[in-house]
Amino acid sequence: MTEGRARGPADLALIAARLGAELRDAGVPADSGRCERFARAVPLARPATQYELYLCALATFASGPEQIATVQRVFGDLFGGVDGRTAGQTEPVAPELPGTPPHPAPDDLLAEAARAAQEHPASRPRPPPAGPEGADDPGRGTGSPERAAGEAAEPDEDQPETGRPVLASRVERLAGTDFAELTPGELQDLTGLMSELTLAVPLRRSRREHPSARGRRTDLRSTLRHARRTGGHPLRLARRAPALRPRQLIVLCDISGSMEPYARAMLQLLYCAAGGAEAEVFTFATRLTRLTGALAHMPPEQALQRAGQAAPDWLGGTRIGASLKEFNDTVGRPGLARGAVVVIISDGWDTGEPAMLRREMQRLSRVAHRIIWVNPRTKSEQYRPLAGGMAAAWPYCDAVLSAHSVHALHELTAALARPGRHRPGSRDGTRAPGPAREASRPQETAAQDG
Amino acid sequence: MPLSDLSGRLPDAATLIRDLDEAGYLTDQPLGMALFLAARMGQPILLEGEPGVGKTEAAKALATVLDTPLIRLQCYEGLTAAEALYEWNYPRQLLAIRLAESRGETLRDADLFSADYLLARPLLAALDHPGPRPAVLLIDEVDRGDDEFEAFLFELLAESAVTIPELGTRRAAVPPVVVLTSNRTRDLHDALKRRCLYHWIEYPDTERVAAIIRRRVPAAAEPLVGQVARGVARLRGLDLAKPPGVAEAISWAEALVVLGADRLDETVAAQTAGVVLKYSEDLQLLRTAGFAAADGD
Repeated sequence: MTEGRARGPADLALIAARLGAELRDAGVPADSGRCERFARAVPLARPATQYELYLCALATFASGPEQIATVQRVFGDLFGGVDGRTAGQTEPVAPELPGTPPHPAPDDLLAEAARAAQEHPASRPRPPPAGPEGADDPGRGTGSPERAAGEAAEPDEDQPETGRPVLASRVERLAGTDFAELTPGELQDLTGLMSELTLAVPLRRSRREHPSARGRRTDLRSTLRHARRTGGHPLRLARRAPALRPRQLIVLCDISGSMEPYARAMLQLLYCAAGGAEAEVFTFATRLTRLTGALAHMPPEQALQRAGQAAPDWLGGTRIGASLKEFNDTVGRPGLARGAVVVIISDGWDTGEPAMLRREMQRLSRVAHRIIWVNPRTKSEQYRPLAGGMAAAWPYCDAVLSAHSVHALHELTAALARPGRHRPGSRDGTRAPGPAREASRPQETAAQDG
Repeated sequence: MPLSDLSGRLPDAATLIRDLDEAGYLTDQPLGMALFLAARMGQPILLEGEPGVGKTEAAKALATVLDTPLIRLQCYEGLTAAEALYEWNYPRQLLAIRLAESRGETLRDADLFSADYLLARPLLAALDHPGPRPAVLLIDEVDRGDDEFEAFLFELLAESAVTIPELGTRRAAVPPVVVLTSNRTRDLHDALKRRCLYHWIEYPDTERVAAIIRRRVPAAAEPLVGQVARGVARLRGLDLAKPPGVAEAISWAEALVVLGADRLDETVAAQTAGVVLKYSEDLQLLRTAGFAAADGD
């Protein structure tokens, strides 16, 4: 257990610290605790091969499947490969245990690794800070996230800085303007108005209980505690009742071409409005990206840029059905979407098969409490959901609305707060009598379309 | 925190992998290394992976290898300290009060809130395990619990101790090996992840699935085992809502053994499809694709 240490803890500490620093730069939250853990793991595991050393790093630094590739890459960069086994985590099933061929002794391996770490260029040029972890790391010295965001959000020259007071009349005018016609700066001016909105979703009964005078269950612990004051006679029964909790709010944002301004506005709304912070946010174009963690660390502008970088091929069109399937398969049906209020923001232009979108909407509607589809194109009186995707999705939506400007956002907050289901079609897609009044205009057309 | 000495039983990761193998759990090197580090470092480990990939089984096998009890806590929303940690035995306390009254004795707090009246729930039971080897504490599907419960786990995970207001802090004599599993239905707190080692269990390749079936369903004859493993792999290639995992492969082999089938052909596959596929959409898809798609050959 002390062989590694006898060799000199400096070597190991150096390796751990360097690896941690590189991982942090790459966006893995490798804090000092994890570095220390890695340094403790190595003497225990006494890795005989580079691959085993990599496995130590993997177990101690990674904390999600999406980080495995990063750990492997950074480790490979720093130590010159993961023992030549690139299949390490894409196909992590080790073909065969590599036995114990004549490998360097652990100490040699460590010394080797330390040398590699030292020789590694300390300050190679890096792309500007963009990671969620990278951006909020105070040690980076690249400026506060706010400043970084300000820079990112300033493509226009005459745009006022965030937080500068803006004339009310101008804001009023902007509030009626379609999000697509606003510059990023003007959109930021609307934060004040957006903060006044509340995204309240219906409540559900939680399984967690809290003390309540009218509860049904007797709280024995509390009753007994009180009984001790009265000589062991339980004179007053304490009761508990289930707590009420807001339902989970899930927002799925289409970030392809024309939808991007609306996605940006929606993220800003979630960022500003009360209750928005509780939402789980995903973006999609050709693939699904979970933004929730990123939003906690950085302003929406930057989070959206990141999501755009993650799916650089959105010009190829939106695959709503496929993205929805990914959502259903990975997180939605297993639990996240159960009993949740789901908001989908998209114009319904799906390059995939409408049948797929219909099937996925059906699956989602079976678990979700309500589905609200925000389609900015429905602001037009002439809009008819004839496009394959929108027509397919329509029967499964409880409400379809435009929410294309701040004024129109009130529709959204109202739709979110409304309890119960209002689906125009029943679950198998056949028409149900008396569709609700939500999104009345296009709704009728939907019914005609069948 | 005193770490129990496991160096004798677990000298290195390769030994653990071999022992797990003997205990009926076939694993690969990355998972073996992660479990080894968790046990030897006394660090909780978070196992994630798609359902049916063997997260829970890993903890069970680890307990078998260490020859210690497996203490399991299934998480759900609203899980409270009373169900996870401890509860006072109220009826017994009440009786004690009455008894003391009838005898004319006076009772003090310390008399009623002693270990006699404490009902240990899984977390406390794991901490109270006397040793000499640590118990394996499986906190299953922690993502089904709520935020409050996650926060409640912090003290246990970091210190191997829990605080009971009436008794003070109870520290584990032999800190348990803690295995947490999650299906990723929601993101766990960073604070929770920071306290844990981590491993993502992938679906194993066809040969390993066959080996696992051989191990778990000894009654399955040879051509059948390979056919089931290949059949499940083929099903996973289809665009299914819920691709079958290792657990389904094992149930399928068991079902075929019960049926007395010695090979997996289209007819048998059609009869037993419900063992592997649990959604009507998936069964429909299989029907369209033809049951030959599930055929092992």
